[in-house]
Amino acid sequence: MFISPRNELSEFKKKYRWMRLFVVLTFGVLVTRLVQLQVVNGEANNKQSLANVVRTVNIPAIRGQLLDSKGRVVASNVPSHAIYVTPHDFDMGQGFERLVKFLDLDNEQANTLRGRLAERLANPTDMRRFQQIEVADDIGSEQLAAIKSHQDELPGVDVLDTPMRQYPFVSTAAHMIGYLNEVGAEDIEKRSILVEDPYRAGDRIGRIGVEKMLEAELRGVRGWRKKVVDARGLPLPRKESEDLMPEPRLQEPRPGHDVTLTIDMALQEIVDKAMRGHPSGAAVIMEVDTGRVLAAASKPSYDPNLLIRGISYEESKALDDNVFRPRIDKTLFEHYYPGSTFKPFTAMAAIEEGRITPDDVIHCSGFHELGHRTFRCPRAHGDITIREAITVSCNVFFYNLAELVGMDNIAKYAKEFGFGERTGVGYNGEAAGAIPTKAWYEEKYPGQFRIGYTLNAAIGQGNVKTTVMQLASAYAAIANGGTVYKPQVVRRIETADGELVKDFPPVVTRRVSVSSRTMDLMKDSMREVVENEAGTAYSARLEGVSVAGKTGTAQVSRRPRNPEDDLERFYYLNRDHAWFAGMAPAMSPEIAIVVFIEHGGSGGENAAPVGMEIAKRYFEEIAPRKQEAPLIADKKQPIRGPLPVVESQEEKAAARARLR
Amino acid sequence: MPRVLSTSLRDRVDWVLLGVAAAIAVIGVINLYSTGIASNSPDLYLTQLYWLTFGGVLAFAVAVIDYRHYDRIGYIIYGVGNFLLLLVLIVGTEVNGSTRWISFGEAWRFQPSEIMKVCLVVGLAKYLYHDPTSEGRGLWDLLIPTVMTLVPMVLILEQPDLGTALLCMLIFFSIMLLTRLKARSMLGLLVSAPVVAMLGWSYLLRDYQKERVISFWNSFVDPEADRLGSGWHAYQSTVAIGSGQWTGKGYLHGTAGPHHFLPEARTDFPFSVFAEEHGFLGAALLLALYFILIMWSIRIAASAKDRFGAILAIGVASVFFWHVLINMGMVMGIMPVVGVTLPLFSYGGSSVLAFTLCVGLLMNVSIHRFSR
Repeated sequence: MFISPRNELSEFKKKYRWMRLFVVLTFGVLVTRLVQLQVVNGEANNKQSLANVVRTVNIPAIRGQLLDSKGRVVASNVPSHAIYVTPHDFDMGQGFERLVKFLDLDNEQANTLRGRLAERLANPTDMRRFQQIEVADDIGSEQLAAIKSHQDELPGVDVLDTPMRQYPFVSTAAHMIGYLNEVGAEDIEKRSILVEDPYRAGDRIGRIGVEKMLEAELRGVRGWRKKVVDARGLPLPRKESEDLMPEPRLQEPRPGHDVTLTIDMALQEIVDKAMRGHPSGAAVIMEVDTGRVLAAASKPSYDPNLLIRGISYEESKALDDNVFRPRIDKTLFEHYYPGSTFKPFTAMAAIEEGRITPDDVIHCSGFHELGHRTFRCPRAHGDITIREAITVSCNVFFYNLAELVGMDNIAKYAKEFGFGERTGVGYNGEAAGAIPTKAWYEEKYPGQFRIGYTLNAAIGQGNVKTTVMQLASAYAAIANGGTVYKPQVVRRIETADGELVKDFPPVVTRRVSVSSRTMDLMKDSMREVVENEAGTAYSARLEGVSVAGKTGTAQVSRRPRNPEDDLERFYYLNRDHAWFAGMAPAMSPEIAIVVFIEHGGSGGENAAPVGMEIAKRYFEEIAPRKQEAPLIADKKQPIRGPLPVVESQEEKAAARARLR
Repeated sequence: MPRVLSTSLRDRVDWVLLGVAAAIAVIGVINLYSTGIASNSPDLYLTQLYWLTFGGVLAFAVAVIDYRHYDRIGYIIYGVGNFLLLLVLIVGTEVNGSTRWISFGEAWRFQPSEIMKVCLVVGLAKYLYHDPTSEGRGLWDLLIPTVMTLVPMVLILEQPDLGTALLCMLIFFSIMLLTRLKARSMLGLLVSAPVVAMLGWSYLLRDYQKERVISFWNSFVDPEADRLGSGWHAYQSTVAIGSGQWTGKGYLHGTAGPHHFLPEARTDFPFSVFAEEHGFLGAALLLALYFILIMWSIRIAASAKDRFGAILAIGVASVFFWHVLINMGMVMGIMPVVGVTLPLFSYGGSSVLAFTLCVGLLMNVSIHRFSR
C-alpha cells in the first residue's frame, strides 16, 4: 500500500504552475472589475448611491391671500393634508393594498393610481421614480389618522401639510375672485414656463378671475427638505442621515404674495341682495375718479369651494347646461345691446357735432317712418328737447338725431368712451363689444348700408354691443367729467410680510373730447330720469339718495321655440334685457352703477330698482359720510336749472304736461 | 499518538498562513460592525468573534493532529457530512424557502452544507491517495470520485442551495485536474460541465434560481434593464462598491450596510459594504490577502510530503478560491447572484467553522511537511 511519497507526488508537479496561472488571471479580472467600478465609474456610481438614499420631500408654498379693499379675507388657506408617494420606495404589493384601504379608494381610483406609479417605475433609469407624486389631497381626519399610525408599514408614503384654498364669502364675487383646481398634463407642459416653479401633478392652479390673472404672484415657490432613507424607504435617524446628505438640505418655500382687491365685499353683498329677485344678470360698481371696481357681480354664481376639489362630470354638466349659464362672468365675457343706456352717447355726439342744441325741439308722434319701415316709440312724446328725450327715453327723438348726426359721428364719440374695445381689466376673457361704422357695414355687407342701421345704433340696438364693465367705465367717464379710466380690480400686491410689491394707481385710458357742458347736460338729464315724475326710473327712486341714470330695455333677437324648451323657458329667453346705468350722488358722482338683468324685461321696472337699492345702501353703509354733500346745489350751472323735486300731485301733473 | 506536539512547533507554524487568515478575519469582524450597526442586531460582530474563537481553537486541534489520522477516518468524515445533509432534509429548518439548517433551540443553527465541502475534500483525498496510478486516469477511474461528489451535490440541491452544490462540483474538478488524466477523461470532465448544467437546469433548479441566472444574463446583454427585478441586488452592490471610489466613504459611512440597501449584506455582500467604505485601496488590500492565501495554499500543496496532504491542500485551496471568485464576481456584477460566502469575512457560524477548519487543515499539511 505504501509507496514512496516522493514518487507519488510526481503526478501533481506539473499542475501547480497552471493552477497558479489560473489564480493570477482570475484575480487580475477581479481587480480590473474593481478598477472599473471604483475608479473609472466611481463618480457616477457615487451619484447613484446618493440618489438611492437621499429623497427630496416637497414643502408646499402657501398661496397668497386675497383681501378686499377693507382687508377682509376673500380667499384664504385652511390646513389640509395630502398624501405623497415616492414610487421608488413604495411597496407596490402590500403597501399599495394598505394605502388603498386607508384612503378608501374604489377600484377605478386604485387602478388609476397603480397605473401612475407603474409608469414611473417602468424604466429603471427614469429619475421620476425618486420624485414624489400626490396620490390624495385634503384627506379626512380618519384617513389621516390611519395613515399616520401605520407610517412604518408604508415606506415611501409621506403626509404633507398642504393648505387648501377656501373662499369664505362662498358665491359672492365668485367670478371675479376665481378659483383653483388641479393642473392637468397640458398645464404642466404649457403653463410651467410662466412661473418660477414648474407645475407638478397634484398642484392647483388659478382657473378664472384674479386667481388666474395673478397666478404667478399668488402661487409662491415650493421648497424642499432632503431626507435619507434606507432601502425600505423609511427615514433614517437624523444623526445617521447627516453624513450622507449633500448641502443644501433645506430650501424654505417662499409664500405667495397677498393681493388686495379693489372690491368691497360688503358692497358686493349689497349688490347680491339687491339682485335677489332676478335669476340672471350682472352689476358693476365703479369708483368714477379712479376706475377701481368696487363690486362686480355675475348671477347666478356658484360655490368655488366645491369647484376647487373638482366636481363630478354630472355636476359639471349641470353647470354647463343651466339656462342661466352660471359659469359665465356676465360683467365681461359677453356683450349685449345696451339699448337706451346708449342714448346719452348719441346725444353727446349730436351736440358736439353741432347738429342740435340743447334747446332744439323735435316732435315725437309715436313713430318714425323711414322708407317702407316704421320705427316706433312707446308713446307719442310731443315736442321735446334732448334733455326731455333722455328723461323719457324717446326713441323717435333719437331716430331723428341719428339722421342728423350719422353713423360715424356716433361711433366716433362712443369709441372715445371706450365702446367697441376691451377695457383691459385683465381677467376672465373680456368681450370687446361693438360699435359699427359705415366702413364696418361696407366691409361686412357691401353696398347694403342703410340709414336704418344708424337709427338702431342711436338707441343702442342694431350692431351696438357692450359689456357691463365697459358701460360702467363709460358712465364713470361721464360722471367724472370726461376721463376714461382703465377698470381695475387689484389695489396692491404685498409680500407675506406686508412689504409692497406693486401698487396699482389709476390708469387713464383717454380723455374724451366732449365738453364738460355737454356732459353736465347729460348728468342733469339723467338725474331727471330718476327725479322727474316722467322719468323712466322715477318709480324706482328711493328716499335719501340722489342718483342720475339711464334705463335701458334692450330687445333680444327673437328666438324660435326649441322642442326642448318648456313654455316658461321659451318666454324667458325672449324677454328683453333690462339695464340701468347711472351714477351717484347725482350732483358730484363718486360711483358709477351699471345693472344688467338678463331677460329682465323693462329697465325702468326691473333694473332701476336694483341700481337704486345699491346706491342707497352704498351711501348708508359703505360710505356714509359722503352723503353729507348737498343734494341739489351744484357749482356747475345746469343749462336750464335743476328740475324741482316733484312732490305733489299738481306738480306731477304739471311736469307731465310740460314733457308731453 | 506519535509526535502530536513536536518540540519545535513554534518554528514549524506557518506564520504567513496564520497571519493572512487572521488579518482577513479581523477585517471581517470590523466590517461586520458597520454592516450590523443599523440592523436589529448590532452585536453581530461579537457573535462572529465568538465563532472565530471557537473555530480557531478547533483549527488548532485540527492542525496539530497529523493529517494521516484523517486519512484513516477519511470515509467516516465524508459519511458524517452526508448523514448531516440527509438529516437537514428530514428535520431541517426552513428559512426563505430553502431548508439548509439544523436548529438547536432558538438561537443556534447549523448549516451542514458548509462543512460538507471540507468533508468532500477529505473523502476525495483519501480515495485518490489510495488509488495511485502511474498512467493517466481513464473515464472509469473517475466514476467513484464522481459519485462521491454527486451524492452530496444532489442532497444540497434538494435543500435547495445552488451555490454550495456548484462549489462541490468545482472542488471536484479542481482536485481531479490536479491528478494525471487521460486526454479523454479531461475531455469527459470538460463536456460533463455543460451536460450537468443542462440537466441541473431542467430538473434541479428552482424557479427563483433560474430567474437569477436569466437576470444575470440579461444584465450582461443590457446592463440598464432588470435592475429592479432579480438584478436589483447585483446592481445595488456594484453601485455601492463603485461609490467608494479611491478611498471610500469612511468607516460606518456607507449606504449599503447601515442603510439596508443590500439585504444579506452580512453573509453575501459584506465585500460591498467594505469596498464602499474603504474604497479601492481597501478592497484591493482585501483582494491581495485572498490572493496571498490561495497562492500560499498551492505552495503548501506543492511542498506536501505525500499525495494525501497535497490533495488536501489543493482541495482546501480550491474551496477558498471558488468562494472568493464566486462571491466577488457576484457582488461586482460579473457573476450571477448565488448565495456563496466570502471566506472568513462573511457572517455565519457554519461558514466560519468550515473556513477555520480549512485553515487548520492547511496548517496541518504545512506543519507536517517534513515529518515522517
